[in-house]
Amino acid sequence: MIPRLLLFLWIAAALLGGFLWAPLVPALGGSTRVLYFHIPSAWITALALGWSMLHSVLYLRTRRLGHDDHAAAAAELGVLFCIVATVSGSLWARVQWGSYWNWDPRETTIFFLLLVYGAYLALRSAIEGEEKRARLAAVYSVIAFVTVPFLIFVVPRLYATLHPSPILPQRGEGRAMDPRIRICFLAMLVGFTALFFWILSLKVRLVRSERRALSESATQS
Amino acid sequence: MPPNGSNSAAAVWAILRKECRSEWRTRYGLNAALLFAVTTLTGVSFAVGRLPDRADLLAALLWVVLLFAALASLSHAFVREVEGHTLTLLRLVASPTAIALGKLLFNLLFLAVLEAVTVPLFLVLMGGPSVHWGPFLLILGLGSLALAASTTLVGAVVSQTRGRGALFAAVSLPLLMVVLAAGVSGLRAQWDGNPVTTEARLLAAYAAVVLGASVLLYDHLWED
Repeated sequence: MIPRLLLFLWIAAALLGGFLWAPLVPALGGSTRVLYFHIPSAWITALALGWSMLHSVLYLRTRRLGHDDHAAAAAELGVLFCIVATVSGSLWARVQWGSYWNWDPRETTIFFLLLVYGAYLALRSAIEGEEKRARLAAVYSVIAFVTVPFLIFVVPRLYATLHPSPILPQRGEGRAMDPRIRICFLAMLVGFTALFFWILSLKVRLVRSERRALSESATQS
Repeated sequence: MPPNGSNSAAAVWAILRKECRSEWRTRYGLNAALLFAVTTLTGVSFAVGRLPDRADLLAALLWVVLLFAALASLSHAFVREVEGHTLTLLRLVASPTAIALGKLLFNLLFLAVLEAVTVPLFLVLMGGPSVHWGPFLLILGLGSLALAASTTLVGAVVSQTRGRGALFAAVSLPLLMVVLAAGVSGLRAQWDGNPVTTEARLLAAYAAVVLGASVLLYDHLWED
């Protein structure tokens, strides 16, 4: 109970700080604030993918269903955060670039991740039997994960030729961030990460108790 | 056929020969894929006409035609075993890795035949600029290798699910976006007279990584 309350207060404080205390970046105006949702969501998207793949490998090595529960739950949460990142990024692009979608390399990468997650979950839903589902989903998860880095190299090359000049300079990470923005941003990053692991543990516990209930009812009948 | 558990070259070769023979007996996989490719090609050609100076469109259209023809047929090698209830017997005589590698080679051969028909037809119908054959074949070959490597693994996975046909394309496509992007970029570069080194390296690296991961994963495809 206490940790949940603390997490709620933490995120609320970081958000309030972001909106009331931290300044706006002059070039970005009000759209600066998307940063507090968008980048943490994108980070969680990547984290969830890595977590899912890690547990897929662990499942293939140990064949313990607990790892598969983690892999599946992380993928489901990954979809959720991926949608948040995509939509918030798209809104920001509308304000800054003038269109919701223009296949910027980063937009392409996040869209690709959404496809990977979607395919993974579609595959899971089409396999009968827990062990088989866990095994085949883990195989797919690993192969999908190894192809992700390639996109980071190929897409900028492809789209740089389509768009010879950038529509607007990217927000450079090298450019110094205002310390107040940075504090709120990092606080949101920590808050989102904690939120992810909290929901993940809830989902995993839910799946486990469902399995226990099923096996108990099977033994009773 | 070599004894149980062997994944030697002989077992792979035997699987490849068996695949070719059973495909040759019915040819329905190849016929379907070829018809699919030619139909798509006709549709594309009919819709946009000749494109003598649009290398960008040509590169994209050629890969789309090839990709969809491949996605319509490459899971066939595994689905055939599942539907014919012959997989158990096959697994008794060869290791999972040998089976998968044999089917990978078969898929590669299948793609080569498909491309040998589709690509010349595409070039004739679309009337594109003159082709630089070296880079063109390099990109096409490496792209096919990457395509076959990832679809063989996905095909083996998908053949064990419900609704195999529809799922195969949906599940393969996210993995193939990179191949599509690099392949399109490479073909366009060769039509524009630019070097294709980056794309060729990228496709080769992709194929190598997917093949490496696949070899590790093949053992987990079926229950012991």
